[in-house]
Amino acid sequence: MRVLLVEDDDLIGNGIEAGLRQAGFTVDWTRNGRDANLTLTTTAYALVVLDLGLPGMSGMQLLKWLRDAGKDVPVLVLTAKDTIVDRVGGLEAGADDYMGKPFDLTELIARCRALLRRSQGRSVELIRYRDLTVNPAAQTVEVGETRVTLTSREWALLLQLLTNQGMPQSRSRLEESLYGWQEEIESNTIEVHVSNLRKKLGASLIKTVRGVGYVVEKP
Amino acid sequence: MSASIRSRLMMLVLVSISVVWGVALVTSYNQAKREIGEWENARLAELAQILALLDQRDLQTLAHARIDVREEEKGGDPGANDEDDDDTLPRDALFQVRDADGRVLAGSPQLVGLHAWDLAVPAQSGAWNISLGGKLWHTFTLRDTLLGHTVRVFEPANTRSDLMSGVARRIARPLVIALPVLALLVWFSIGLSLAPLQTLSRAILRRDINKLEPVDIGRAPTEVRPLVDSINHVLSRLRDSLDRQRAFTADAAHELKTPLAAIKVQAQVALAEEDAALRRAAMERVVRAVDRSARLAEQLLLMARLDEHEKLSTSPLRAATIAKDAILANEQSARQKDMSIVFAGDTRAEIAAEPLLIGILLDNLIDNAIKYGRAGGAIEVAVRREHDRVLLTVRDDGPGVAHEDLAHLTSRFFRAPGNQATGSGLGLSIVARIVEHFDARLRFDAGIGTRGLAVEVSFPFHASAA
Repeated sequence: MRVLLVEDDDLIGNGIEAGLRQAGFTVDWTRNGRDANLTLTTTAYALVVLDLGLPGMSGMQLLKWLRDAGKDVPVLVLTAKDTIVDRVGGLEAGADDYMGKPFDLTELIARCRALLRRSQGRSVELIRYRDLTVNPAAQTVEVGETRVTLTSREWALLLQLLTNQGMPQSRSRLEESLYGWQEEIESNTIEVHVSNLRKKLGASLIKTVRGVGYVVEKP
Repeated sequence: MSASIRSRLMMLVLVSISVVWGVALVTSYNQAKREIGEWENARLAELAQILALLDQRDLQTLAHARIDVREEEKGGDPGANDEDDDDTLPRDALFQVRDADGRVLAGSPQLVGLHAWDLAVPAQSGAWNISLGGKLWHTFTLRDTLLGHTVRVFEPANTRSDLMSGVARRIARPLVIALPVLALLVWFSIGLSLAPLQTLSRAILRRDINKLEPVDIGRAPTEVRPLVDSINHVLSRLRDSLDRQRAFTADAAHELKTPLAAIKVQAQVALAEEDAALRRAAMERVVRAVDRSARLAEQLLLMARLDEHEKLSTSPLRAATIAKDAILANEQSARQKDMSIVFAGDTRAEIAAEPLLIGILLDNLIDNAIKYGRAGGAIEVAVRREHDRVLLTVRDDGPGVAHEDLAHLTSRFFRAPGNQATGSGLGLSIVARIVEHFDARLRFDAGIGTRGLAVEVSFPFHASAA
């Protein structure tokens, strides 16, 4: 799950980035509205965490632009302005959720998960697929009753495919959701991860779509 | 003097009335006294004229009778039974008539007893007061040209008569009765006139401490209007100041939330982090965030203190000494960004200010120059005399500030767009407040070699430095 964090404060941004990473998200962090604007036009994000008090293009402007451009990526707004008027204004401008500073990091992550879940059309955290039980919050996977251990890359790849059931995911799309900006993408790494997942969870789970990429079929 | 307006007015009004009445009383009394005197003389003249017409035999008879000249008959008027103007003691008029040769035709025998029988006759007609037997007598002399008689009439002065005091009492009595009535009326009138003041004080007392709307007591008299206006003026200034305070508190709370959020986030990252090195890095960031909020709190306190409008005492200071101290204090952080700070200019110029505040001012300017200047750049702190002013300038060669942002630089919590450095946006507004405090002037200009920013503070030149 690739998340865009837009936050101008160094210490807060660094903290949220670390927290989201710990929770298994891939995080890109920009410090101003213009960079965020540019990034959002080129990269598909599962979620945007947006601070409103930004230099340059303000968070509110960015949010308006995002909605006007027809992008329905879920947006969680962070702000120190925490009055009812600010909240209502933020939500009406297209925010999906709103948190005042100082916020609780675990709550922020829980809300991010909830937003993602809703955008994927689920109402419970657990993803059940045939004999597979996946818990994104606890980052656990069970086949039947047996707990299977996955690396963070394998985990992210599985989640991306499971949350887009029936929709073939191209290699570049999968790479995009797996790697942030700073990370070096090794060639044929997606193939390696897919083959590992097949070994751990069963060969029939992930299907290869020739010339396109991979898919987890709808059950 | 009493503190109550009502008592004071009462005193003043009643004393004034008493004085005026007293003068009126004395004047009336003197007037009455003169009138009575004239009337008595006229009576004596009439008597003398009658006597002048009588022949010797009638005069002889009359001399041995009594001529009572009491002005009022006893019991003559039953209604006039007051003692004020009683003239009850018998007062007999005496007379002596002489012919043209000066021989006495007739005379009251009592005159002999008074040694007045041979009293020299005045040459002319007229009234005189003389002393006979230790008493005052009114006399009237009439020289009658028809018979050549000279008539002298003597009447004891009515010294024991209450006539005069009666007149005085008659004039004074209504006044004495009127005075308390008047006092009562004045008391109520003053109370009525002071009613708007009481309305005003009630209106102020009832006032909600949190609502500082203008006092309205309807149509106030012209004397009370300025008071109401002044109170409303003070209230409106108080309201402005409160509004500023509230805005400041709201801004401050808002600003304090950011470092608090950073502390919380980093602490939670540290708690969840299993890697020891990463945990340590997060904890170090917690410490940095605490430092930042401590500095912010310090700045907010300073700001609030400067807003209290208390003028601090000033003393002549050598600007260069403080500038050099400020440079030393910031050298460490400048070195971290590989920047150099140099001092330039006049080492002897003096300004009238308070050393701690000027230290804070320079510290803020140098700190800003380090934060927003470029790494490896230069900072110049200069003291210069120009005509009657001393200029304190801090220049850098960093990216500078966009023209449209210059006007907002001193606004509280303003941070120029696009800068990465951590700051509260309070530094320059603190500088501006200090500048205001010492009646100095603040100006922004291009920095070193048209790059960066120059902040110039110009103080009035301190005379003793000459």
